[in-house]
Amino acid sequence: MEEDEFLGEKTFQHYCAEFIKHSQQIGDGWEWRTSKDCSDGYMCKIHFQIKNGTVVSYPGTSTHVQTCLPMEEALELPLDDSEVTEATAATEVIKYEYHVLYSCSYQVPVLYFRASFLDGRPFSLKDIWEGVHECYKTRLQQGPWDTITQQEHPILGQPFFVLHPCKTNEFMTPVLKNSRKINSTWTCLCFHLFPRNVNYITSWLSIVGPVVGLNLPLSYARAASQNE
Amino acid sequence: MAEQPEAVLPLPPSGAADGEGPTDVSPGTEEPAGDTKKKIDILLKAVGDTPIMKTKKWAVERTRTIQGLIDFIKKFLKLVASEQLFIYVNQSFAPSPDQEVGTLYECFGSDGKLVLHYCKSQAWG
Repeated sequence: MEEDEFLGEKTFQHYCAEFIKHSQQIGDGWEWRTSKDCSDGYMCKIHFQIKNGTVVSYPGTSTHVQTCLPMEEALELPLDDSEVTEATAATEVIKYEYHVLYSCSYQVPVLYFRASFLDGRPFSLKDIWEGVHECYKTRLQQGPWDTITQQEHPILGQPFFVLHPCKTNEFMTPVLKNSRKINSTWTCLCFHLFPRNVNYITSWLSIVGPVVGLNLPLSYARAASQNE
Repeated sequence: MAEQPEAVLPLPPSGAADGEGPTDVSPGTEEPAGDTKKKIDILLKAVGDTPIMKTKKWAVERTRTIQGLIDFIKKFLKLVASEQLFIYVNQSFAPSPDQEVGTLYECFGSDGKLVLHYCKSQAWG
């Protein structure tokens, strides 16, 4: 059994900073946010997605926001103008949020995520999974509640879905160890050795991101290997 | 064990049958004349205690996706459904499942080939 590769909090912050540097270069939208007392922080990304022509119905909501229709049809609904605009906008644009936090107990990064319509109505986990690549769906559906839970965001105090971190070391350790074997230079932070051209956060997010619909542009891979 | 000659990645059953079999060799000589080769050379390397593939060098269609490659390797290694397989470029970055290998070759290929590391995991167990 390989010795696990744990990530200290300072190292976590260092890799996040490097990650965000590249994100800024390519306009990928990640930013660092600190808690009110600035004692800790996390990485955050928000992106908006338009759902066109999809029929989205929510039991219990009033009829005028039941379906997501193309513009022309929406205008035929018996509503006044402002309501039509709101209904159309509300049902067509979805806001996705991804937060990367540090888990002291597991000593690994954790991915928190949620999605909602612009009017605040939350997206269910089922809806989020519709944006997930096929290859992950079967696996997740076999035991989804083992791996994705709903928890209170440690800093914001709001409910988020969380990709459980208990298996993180299992899939990160072989990759990091392999990379350390191949590369002769490394950096030492928090008493752990990491290969100099590997960004833990970049690697980790490239693996877990697609599971929840978040894909990293390839340039992150090159940026990681160019970091001094 | 002698290194096997480079093998052509077989097309999925639903794809068009070109008449190419898994024994085709000699990278480059069968490629149609044109600006770019239709196939790129991939070298697969195992990570951790993942089984090593007997054939490591493959000529793969540029448009083959990472997901297609993952499915192929899983079948080749006879992995069970509950095992995940990850593929990495630059040793540590996992490209999106729908990324085409041709693009990865353009970005990360060197010495005429693309080196990909693969690793199995029970990650979501």
